[in-house]
Amino acid sequence: MKNKHVNAIVVGSGAGGGVVAKELSYAGLSVVLFERGGWVRYAAHGNDELTAQRSFPLACFFGPDNERYRRVAVDRQGNERIVFPNDWAYHNNAACVGSGTVNYGAMGWRFMEEDFTMKSTYGHVEGSTLEDWPITYADLEPYYEKVEWEIGVAGDDYQNPFAPWRRKPHPMPPFPHNTEAKLLEQAAKKIGYHPFPIPMLRNSEPFDGRPACVHVRNCVGFACPVDAKNGTQNTVIPKAIETGNCELRIHSQVVKILTDSSGRAKGVEYFDRDGQKLTQTADIVILSASATETPRLMLNSATNLYPNGIGNRYDWVGRNLQGHAYCGADGLFEEEIYDDFGPGSSVAVCDFAHNNPGIIGGAMLANEFIKMPYAYSSGYRPPGSARWGREHKEFQKNNYRRNASVRGPVQEMPNFESRVEVAPNVLDHWGMPVAKISGFKLDEDIRTAEFIADKAAKWLEAAGAYKIWKNIPGTGVSGSQHQSGTCRMGNDPQTSVTDKYGRVHEVDNLFIADGSLHVTNGAFNPVLTIMALGYWVSDYIVKEWERGNRFQ
Amino acid sequence: MDRRSFLKVSAIWTGGAWIVGVPTLSANPYRELTDSEAEIMDALADAIIPPGEFAGGKDARVTRFIDQQIGRYGYLQHDKELYKTCLPALNKNSRDRFGAVFTELSEDRKEEYLKAIEAGEYNNQPTNSDWGSYTPSSFFNTTRNQCMMGFYGSPIHGGNKDYVSYRMLGLY
Repeated sequence: MKNKHVNAIVVGSGAGGGVVAKELSYAGLSVVLFERGGWVRYAAHGNDELTAQRSFPLACFFGPDNERYRRVAVDRQGNERIVFPNDWAYHNNAACVGSGTVNYGAMGWRFMEEDFTMKSTYGHVEGSTLEDWPITYADLEPYYEKVEWEIGVAGDDYQNPFAPWRRKPHPMPPFPHNTEAKLLEQAAKKIGYHPFPIPMLRNSEPFDGRPACVHVRNCVGFACPVDAKNGTQNTVIPKAIETGNCELRIHSQVVKILTDSSGRAKGVEYFDRDGQKLTQTADIVILSASATETPRLMLNSATNLYPNGIGNRYDWVGRNLQGHAYCGADGLFEEEIYDDFGPGSSVAVCDFAHNNPGIIGGAMLANEFIKMPYAYSSGYRPPGSARWGREHKEFQKNNYRRNASVRGPVQEMPNFESRVEVAPNVLDHWGMPVAKISGFKLDEDIRTAEFIADKAAKWLEAAGAYKIWKNIPGTGVSGSQHQSGTCRMGNDPQTSVTDKYGRVHEVDNLFIADGSLHVTNGAFNPVLTIMALGYWVSDYIVKEWERGNRFQ
Repeated sequence: MDRRSFLKVSAIWTGGAWIVGVPTLSANPYRELTDSEAEIMDALADAIIPPGEFAGGKDARVTRFIDQQIGRYGYLQHDKELYKTCLPALNKNSRDRFGAVFTELSEDRKEEYLKAIEAGEYNNQPTNSDWGSYTPSSFFNTTRNQCMMGFYGSPIHGGNKDYVSYRMLGLY
């Protein structure tokens, strides 16, 4: 079967790809948006914690499935093992329409100005490939604004003295605090921190035809029961489809980028839900498959012209894998502070995101989302606590409503050895080499995490916790839902994979629009930046297209 | 045969040929675990999550969760062999060591025994062949985690009967 040629192919319908599909189809380009998963609705999984995206001990309800997907995880000693999607070492994000934006916690952070200029702000860091972005906050600011108004963010950055400048306020008022967050807000003020409500990609009031949040506890890791959480699946993707220019092709696994004899991308090879191998051709191909799957696709598309994979002449594809070095502190309180008012996380401080004496970077700090019962049973207790038995059950019963956690996504220093490769001998269901993930955090990241965890502990102490303990991350490679950095943008083709518009250096009509582009991953959850880059990359493509450039 | 079993069996008989292997008429409600394995699992679940003001692992139907998940429609099929091997081994090892099978030990002795297993104290001993390719401590770690899933997870997976754990946490 031959598919009709289209103007653009977008691979992956998550934060980046959903935005690109909308922008290109609005500009009149014909688009096929590929998604390996399908539509996911709340009704099908409800409050089932064991398959939700937060801890998925049984399976990943939002995909991918354990039957067809594999990766290879490499530990610090170099031992390789095959891992399934619901193993932490797989570094899973979702595989469904909207991807992680269906089930995320939905924090809608703009990166700060310094997050784009880490090298010039902090200088060289031993062992790190730290670099400035080729674009600045000022370049991206209008696109952040577009995300906030088109996808929908509730917040009030004017309460945050460290917030980067902006032209327009958020379109919705910020979220109210629950009992725990109010307590932490007061405590923060007491010790000179500057608390403010977290910007959220979630409706604090009806927005764009969808209702306001109803404050359930099962929010992060779950789809929203009333569709008040804003992802690409309920905003830009339906809008793209409405134009009539965009076809969303679900349950379709793209396995290869096809190139012609001159090296241009001419389309993709994919398998449909019946396992049929098909081809789709296009004028432009945009990869938005995640910081793991985008480089995997490029590496799996080697040809005579691109013997090491597309865009990989200088061996930068798959390098610099980052997530965040999450750290923080937990505290126990005498009184009940739990009031079952979700999503739970709502108060933050940016006092320690930058400008920490002797520290490179830092992290914002925020209170944790509501912990579901199974998750609470396996963590969130002082070191050395009983893991089972009477004492464990008593701890659950006594402390579930008497605990608070503060967490911070420490900005990691990128390093060349943390990477995504392909494992030539381990094939997925479709016969393609799977992604192999290896690497580590630098000592610098752990040092920063210790500094930040200390600030979290002080916050809980001020709130009146009688017992406090810190969380310091291990040295293993990060990634998971904040995965980024594996096809960084840059001005020098020898030390980056794409130019500043996300165009792969060697291939004029091949673009990337996902977290892979991030040079550094900020002191914040990265999704708003991924969406903003979706608008940024699209804007370039559309402007070129409108002046007649067909990328040939 | 009680009335319920009778009705169940008749339904299978009249149901037609798609049933492969009619179950025996015992009261065992499980598909994968034998009576004896289920009894050990019940005792283990109660040791990991003891009964008290709120149900323990057994009454919260953690065993049903395990049985369902290691079965052909479950998510933990890969652990079926683990349970089939290690539950009997848990009993036999206890008899060798204490002169009584696990299910007959006092609550305190069960806890002491499981703590020793968890600490790896039984990982290197002459009777290890009873545990097949598994070590006692890795079995304990797996089942401890899965008991927590059965007790604190959604009842749709077979455990957490009547949302007992949610009620204990004040969520219902």
